[in-house]
Amino acid sequence: MNTIEINNLTKTYGKARGITNVSFNVEEGEIFGFIGPNGAGKSTTIRTLLSLIYPTSGSAKIFGKDCIEFGPEIKKEIGYLPSEVFYYDNMKVMDLLNYSASFYKKDCKKRIKELAEIMNLDLNKKIDDLSYGNKKKVGIVQGLLHEPKLIMLDEPTSGLDPLMQQKFFDLLKEENKKGATILFSSHVLSEVQKMCERVAIIKEGKIIKIERISDLKENNYKNFELETLSKIDQNYFNINGVTNLLVKDNSVSFLFKGNINLILQKISVIEIANLWIEEPNLEDVFMHYYEKGE
Amino acid sequence: MNMFLHELKAYRKSTIIWSMALAGIVIVFLSMFPAFSSNAEELKKLLENLPLALRNAIGLSLDTIGSLLGFYSTLTFLYITLCGAIQAMNLGTSIVSKEVREKTADFLLTKPVSRVQILSAKLLAALTSLVITNVIYLIVASLMASATSPQPFSLKLFLMISATLFLIQLMFLALGVIISVIAPRIKAVLPVSLGTVFPFFFISMFGSAIGDNNLRYITPFKFYDPAYIIKNASYEASFVLLEVGLIILAIAASYVIYLKKDIDSV
Repeated sequence: MNTIEINNLTKTYGKARGITNVSFNVEEGEIFGFIGPNGAGKSTTIRTLLSLIYPTSGSAKIFGKDCIEFGPEIKKEIGYLPSEVFYYDNMKVMDLLNYSASFYKKDCKKRIKELAEIMNLDLNKKIDDLSYGNKKKVGIVQGLLHEPKLIMLDEPTSGLDPLMQQKFFDLLKEENKKGATILFSSHVLSEVQKMCERVAIIKEGKIIKIERISDLKENNYKNFELETLSKIDQNYFNINGVTNLLVKDNSVSFLFKGNINLILQKISVIEIANLWIEEPNLEDVFMHYYEKGE
Repeated sequence: MNMFLHELKAYRKSTIIWSMALAGIVIVFLSMFPAFSSNAEELKKLLENLPLALRNAIGLSLDTIGSLLGFYSTLTFLYITLCGAIQAMNLGTSIVSKEVREKTADFLLTKPVSRVQILSAKLLAALTSLVITNVIYLIVASLMASATSPQPFSLKLFLMISATLFLIQLMFLALGVIISVIAPRIKAVLPVSLGTVFPFFFISMFGSAIGDNNLRYITPFKFYDPAYIIKNASYEASFVLLEVGLIILAIAASYVIYLKKDIDSV
């Protein structure tokens, strides 16, 4: 079953940014990554799903129900963490969380305490006095306190230190194990790589690709880096399957997809000083997508 | 209910301050009345020297100024309504713009509530704040009037005049709400509310000065003429209808616009 179904969602803001014919599904129980550079349309898509903004055309369903028509109903089971959190400044953390909890017909007191403990959040402070990272923690607790079935995160990790990020990811994985579906938008690829099963890649308002993370990595891409003893011809490695070729003085780097023997034969002919062959990180793979259109 | 209480709590300080301000004004002005009424004849002569247009502009009518109701409606209530209008306009303007400015719209609108519920809760909280202010004002003003008037006066008429404060405030509340849903982002409430209230206030003074009755339809400050109330013990039906119509129009339009509005990210 699909928790989120997006069909040809289009949102135009005059002539500026927006999204065009975005379609993808998020299956129940999966952690779905939504990747793209800043301004690509990630937030626009998520905000449409939450009916904060209305689509120009197309539609989206959450839990099988239209996200605009049944907005209030489906939001009972959604936890949302915006990229920038600002809350009623003159409130204490505890008061804000209680206010947030009061919207759900559940007793969330215990969960608030648990989450605050995990995230190391002082409930008695005024929100005004919190640092950016701590405000973010308030946002996390706020988004998870009602144990939602669907968690939507818009660039959630900015402002969190690495330790907190790790705790946060562990928390999300735990929620996921309990059955929560997670939609996770980010421009930091490594965190998506760590967390997600599938990703949609968005660029300039359009979905370029939807793929399993494992497929992406197993796509036989290898990252080659080598140092030669003497200068080589700029186009020596420019063969079929090579991308991102960079030749600078004696160092060469490129991504290769295809029969690995071919490239090794080419390397064996020249004199090299050093050689690295690595699994490419997603960043390299995505750069490849991003650049293709330009 | 939770939203209503939250909003009401947010208005607590402003409600207290405005109530105290209005009570303070009426205490100060009415405490001058005994001195005024005992020297009424001399003061009238003095005031006669003022140009007629100016007297009209500030609503000074020499025939009635010696009575408590006359004094109250011309030399006190004008300033009460001015303050009250600013309070109502502040409340109305901040209803939606506050969420945008403090960037809390995302918080509220991703909760399982409809926008109708949100706007209704906020409107109701603003209305409650106004009601509280008015109740406090009416009590303080009535007590003060009773304490300072040497002659008996009609409490009914006094309350009828005072109640127009609430009616004027309702008009400005509705005006503030529609402005706050239409304007994309209001950085600060006060310039907007002062910038709306004062032009209306000056139009009403200008209208009185030149004696143009048609201008009364433009400015809420002139919807309810105390002289008419004192004379007829009723409000002018045409203006009551006008206000009701305008408020319904403004609030209905606010709902429609707010429901369809895109809440843009910060």
